[in-house]
Amino acid sequence: MSNIKIKSKNLDVFYGDKQALFDVNLDLNEKEVTALIGPSGCGKSTFIRCINRMNDVIDICKVTGNIEMDGMDINDKSLDVVALREKVGMVFQKPNPFPKSIYDNISYGPKIHGKGETKSELDEIVENSLRKSALWEEVKDRLDEPGTSLSGGQQQRLCIARAISVNPEVILMDEPCSALDPIATAKIEELIDELKKTYTIVIVTHSMAQAVRVSQKTGFFHLGKLIEVGKTEKIFKNPDNKMTQDYITGRFG
Amino acid sequence: MNIVLIFLISIFSISLFFYGKSKTKTISIKDNIKLNALPKFYGYYLVLWCSIPALVFLLVWSLFEPTIIKSIIIETAANQGAVFNDKNEANLIYEKIKAIHLGTYFGDIDSILKESALAYAKFINLFTNSKVVLIFGIIIASVVYSLKKIRNNNKARDDVEVILKGLLFVSSLIAILTTLGIIFSLLFESIKFFSVINIFDYLFGTNWSPQRAFVRDASSITAAEYEELKDAFGFIPLIAGTSFIAFIAMLVAVPVGLFSGIYMAEYASTKVRRVSKPIIEILAGIPTVVYGFFAALTVGPFFRQVGENLGLTVSSESALAAGLIMGIMIIPYVSSLSDDVINSVPQSLRDGSYAVGATKSETIKQVVIPAALPGIIGSVLLAVSRAIGETMIVVMAAGLAANLTINPLESTTTITTQIVMILVGDQEFDSPKTQSAFALGLTLFIATLVLNYIAQRAVKKYREKYD
Repeated sequence: MSNIKIKSKNLDVFYGDKQALFDVNLDLNEKEVTALIGPSGCGKSTFIRCINRMNDVIDICKVTGNIEMDGMDINDKSLDVVALREKVGMVFQKPNPFPKSIYDNISYGPKIHGKGETKSELDEIVENSLRKSALWEEVKDRLDEPGTSLSGGQQQRLCIARAISVNPEVILMDEPCSALDPIATAKIEELIDELKKTYTIVIVTHSMAQAVRVSQKTGFFHLGKLIEVGKTEKIFKNPDNKMTQDYITGRFG
Repeated sequence: MNIVLIFLISIFSISLFFYGKSKTKTISIKDNIKLNALPKFYGYYLVLWCSIPALVFLLVWSLFEPTIIKSIIIETAANQGAVFNDKNEANLIYEKIKAIHLGTYFGDIDSILKESALAYAKFINLFTNSKVVLIFGIIIASVVYSLKKIRNNNKARDDVEVILKGLLFVSSLIAILTTLGIIFSLLFESIKFFSVINIFDYLFGTNWSPQRAFVRDASSITAAEYEELKDAFGFIPLIAGTSFIAFIAMLVAVPVGLFSGIYMAEYASTKVRRVSKPIIEILAGIPTVVYGFFAALTVGPFFRQVGENLGLTVSSESALAAGLIMGIMIIPYVSSLSDDVINSVPQSLRDGSYAVGATKSETIKQVVIPAALPGIIGSVLLAVSRAIGETMIVVMAAGLAANLTINPLESTTTITTQIVMILVGDQEFDSPKTQSAFALGLTLFIATLVLNYIAQRAVKKYREKYD
């Protein structure tokens, strides 16, 4: 049994008057992939955006309850959000490379955090990040080209490289393959398998098959509540909850 | 008379609309046939047939009536023994006849004039009567024709669509033709100017003093006179003054406008934004003449005062005062355009930057602004072209003497100011002085056209990037 990296207790999230998450208690294990599944609007994305406090960007969003990483309270007002996001990287639904060169896309994060003082150190970080995201061989000769000139799947791997570049501990992935074709998806999934050796990964997905393929643990959300959580194998073969059973067999959602 | 006619045509058309609508309805019910279009389309069909031919006829008639009457009357007067040597004298007699007819002529009226005035009254009457008769004839003919069409259950919808398309086309044609007309009038007058003054003497001359050519017939300038005129129309001081004042204006408008745009787009809460955005846009609604006297009466003297206290000579009509006020005037353009541009940078880029731990200002500086840069450049160029074309502030605050200087405390002048100065008051339209205004206008037009083109290209290029 691996260590618990992130622990949420009685987590509630409100958007204005509307409550988006109800009393979520979920533990995420270190160096493991946790998949979050559930119908659209059920709060999966809201949950992972709590982990790196991306919800701060939304004015009307209010988070109560407790969420801890290695025993440190993430919601603490005095917590340095910049330092938190250095530890918790994120990959978004749609690839969102900056309108800069491939090199600058990767070196952006390290520069902000003061890593890579010299050009050669930066070069090394860029190369390592691109290698880890399995993009190096494809782009090593054209690092000066804009990131937006890559294909959709390459762009998404570039975004993963960008997240890795600051050497995080946790990577959040919000439906990272929903805008990609099956071949690009397969590449990303392969990559996730590789990355879990180093990082704790949380992935939101609408594809049951993907959850089965990549994750060790699965949580099922419905209408803002965490209905069931457990080993992926168990959730998909023999869920305790009738609703989970109905969802994974495609009866609703 | 014409107003009454137009009114009658409209009344008639509106009633035909309802007639056509109900008529087709009854036909379809009575004969149990499926109409080719909704009843209201038959109404529109009648309206268009009733009004357009009559209105077009009225327009054409009104355009030609005065010229025809004039030539007839002048001929009658000549037949009765009126003597005139050229066109101007003929025109004068015609105006006299008209005035007699209207009862506003107070000179001596001889028998020729009297007879002609009677003839004039007769012709006016005849023309008016025939106009009314013809218009009603046209209306009746077109209404009868269109009613017949309707009874045959024609495809009224298609016809109405075609006519509406035609109307829209004519409207855009008017807009385009007017613009072309203006451009050509600029062009032809400029050509006249350049036939007197060598275009190179104009473009590269460094002295502007057009009053030297005052009341001098362009067609009869001798070589000796031209030597004297040659360096009176040098364009350089004007373009230098214009660019200089525009430059000072941009020094004020770009930073302030851009920063306020960034604040509005990135930092302001919805509440602040709702209040402050309209307030900034009010600046754009202040008439430029108000800015002008603010610059001339408040800011200019204030600078002179401050300058005196510091031991500097500051002209009370300084480039600095004009440029500063012009910059303030342009702030809302820059701020509101860059606000829009920054707002259209996708949120996902900001999220991506926040997610690697960038702060808000880092995100704005390194991701948002670079992404929005082409659009921001576009908005700045639009502001420049406005600064160059701005007239009122510089007329009031920048001075008239064409000094070639880069001292912002001295007075300079601009292209627009000189155009105003040249055309104010009585003009000799064949003097090179007057014609030079058109050359200046053409130059200014080309300059702003080029700037606008580049700006719009930049904005467009930016838009394509995220779609």
